Amino acid sequence: MARILAVDDSAAMRQMVGITLSSAGHHVQQAADGVEALRIAERERFDLVITDVNMPKMDGITLMRELRARSNYHHTPLLMLTTEATFECKQQGKAAGATGWLVKPFNPDRLLATVAKVLS
Amino acid sequence: MRSSASRSIGGSDPAARPDPGPALPGFEHFERHWDREHGWSVKILPGEYYITRAEELISTVLGSCISACVRDPQHGVGGMNHFMLPEDAAGGSDEWLDPAVGLATRYGSYAMESLINDLLKLGAVRERLEIKLFGGGRILAGMSDVGERNIRFIRDYMRIEGYPVAAEDLGGTRPRKVLYFPTSGRARLRRLRPVENRIISRHEQLYLESLGRHTPGGEVELFT
Repeated sequence: MARILAVDDSAAMRQMVGITLSSAGHHVQQAADGVEALRIAERERFDLVITDVNMPKMDGITLMRELRARSNYHHTPLLMLTTEATFECKQQGKAAGATGWLVKPFNPDRLLATVAKVLS
Repeated sequence: MRSSASRSIGGSDPAARPDPGPALPGFEHFERHWDREHGWSVKILPGEYYITRAEELISTVLGSCISACVRDPQHGVGGMNHFMLPEDAAGGSDEWLDPAVGLATRYGSYAMESLINDLLKLGAVRERLEIKLFGGGRILAGMSDVGERNIRFIRDYMRIEGYPVAAEDLGGTRPRKVLYFPTSGRARLRRLRPVENRIISRHEQLYLESLGRHTPGGEVELFT
């Protein structure tokens, strides 16, 4: 089972995503913004990072760029999970190195299926 | 400022109406009405939310639905949503700590996050958010208590997110009209006559049915 870092400024979202992933047997670590996520990601290794876009201190797009700049995360799957659904925003995510984009309200089954797909 | 002259001719003199400025991006499709008592006002329907920096009023009519009125008093931006939680056909749970977290909880969080995210993008600060909650009535006897479920959701959500409740008027058996002034944070309530219950309930039912047909979001796109 995978080690996953879940990043969202909403505690409600972190809780729902965390429970969904751990119920499927994954080991989940949580962070409330990009700065905290980066600090944890530098200290530990993860198989996958799932992040929101709009967050204080550091947004999800910047976080992806920062992670991709680190050798440990060159090839790690990075997923966006966000209320943002516009083409422009998705393009920004893609350019920053995102592997995929999931639009909220999140669907537990689809999240797990996507996680399984990008990890395989 | 409205002059006494404009009032004497029914407030129809456009020159007497202060310019509210353009609506914020993404909210241009809402219609602004001039109301002689309150000035500019925007009415929102179930499933909608509206945000403004302007001197204007946001109103809505609530049966069992919930409205959150949210603003950053220092930054001068605020808004209101109006949502109801869909029934979960898949039998998902309303419990936050249940792995099978249901459609209702996910949809409610989405309704709150959409409004709050847009406020934060406009410069509001999370720690300063002032949140007032209204609705969740049980306006038709004999129906399952959808209002109570909506109230339970919003209370859990506020607790988990760590938001204090600045004011609330939840539950009861009468529908409400909420008038919210984002620039001052003032919220006024009008209880509606029970004769209107059936119409309001019908509108909410139609909204719920439309939610069942197409709940927004949930799309997945892989770039590689």
